[in-house]
Amino acid sequence: MPAPTLRQLTGVFLRIGNTTFGGGLPTIAALQRELVERNDWLSPEDYALAFSLARVTPGTNVIAFCAAVGARILGFRGALAATLAETAPSAVLAILMTQGYETWRSNAWVMAGIAGTIAAVAGMMWASAWWMLKPYLRGVGGALRSLVITMAAFAAFWKLGLGPVSVIGLAAVVGVLWKEPESEAALPTDTDL
Amino acid sequence: MNLFLLYLLLFKAVITSFSGLASLPIVRNDFVVKRHVLTDRQLNTAIVAGQTGPGPNGLYLVSVGYFAAGLPGAAAGLIALITPAFVIIPLMSWIGKYAEIPRIRSAIHAVILASAGLLMAAAIPLARDAAAGPLAIAIIVVSFVVLAFTRIETWWVMLGGALVGLGAKLLG
Repeated sequence: MPAPTLRQLTGVFLRIGNTTFGGGLPTIAALQRELVERNDWLSPEDYALAFSLARVTPGTNVIAFCAAVGARILGFRGALAATLAETAPSAVLAILMTQGYETWRSNAWVMAGIAGTIAAVAGMMWASAWWMLKPYLRGVGGALRSLVITMAAFAAFWKLGLGPVSVIGLAAVVGVLWKEPESEAALPTDTDL
Repeated sequence: MNLFLLYLLLFKAVITSFSGLASLPIVRNDFVVKRHVLTDRQLNTAIVAGQTGPGPNGLYLVSVGYFAAGLPGAAAGLIALITPAFVIIPLMSWIGKYAEIPRIRSAIHAVILASAGLLMAAAIPLARDAAAGPLAIAIIVVSFVVLAFTRIETWWVMLGGALVGLGAKLLG
């Protein structure tokens, strides 16, 4: 697994963290695509671990997620760079917005740009879900199990109103009780995703 | 307001909450009700400023710090927002040790699959908000196709979405 320089890693968090509107999940989805799929700096297992542990870490989930993956990729300096790159520029923007919020909200140009970005974010989240699901769609039994778990989580969150923490907890229990087929246990190899 | 006290109050609010805005009741109690450092109106402005821009939820704490003590206060707010996140690093290596056990691996993979499902569900309200017309639907579809089947950097698609939004406004 290749390791980035501190500068490369900071660059990714700067770009993703401060251009992705819509809160934590879209940001985590975009980071998943950059860190796991495009650059191969982080294994899918480490991603999953960071994702679930971020949910049970106090404070904003996405910041804990950045600390976890930053630390996994480049140690403590990676965690520090990731969390600061993720938050500091947006914090400056938040201060500017605090000062001039009324002016901004009445600016139709700003709102048109933001609306376009939000639409792109929605598509990006589904694309990310696809990337996460894809490696588990091998073999009939494995693919079926994967689809059942994914769709059950989808339905539990969307229709039954279960919180994300409960859904992830339930999925972990299901994973322990309903073991994946052996052929799939070697997956994912991270290289052929 | 004393910067260290400001940091401690905001830190307390962050460490006892598990999502961006869950800290709000604690912040309001400390800053508006007990200490009269902020008005409710200022707190609302802080929330709106934190939520409208890009970046993580919980950034409103930076605005709260700014109202309480100017730019140094904002910095204290940012540090209070970040510090609790570092708890995850020891947590990660502790649990990571057990990740090779087959049943634990199976559980981790199930969590990946479930988080894919969560992402799909979480995107629906966003898509509903955004899909105000055929143009927005087109952006959603193009964004999905490009990002799912190519390796182009995500940022370009976000920028493209913003430009298309602006272009549509330009053409009326």
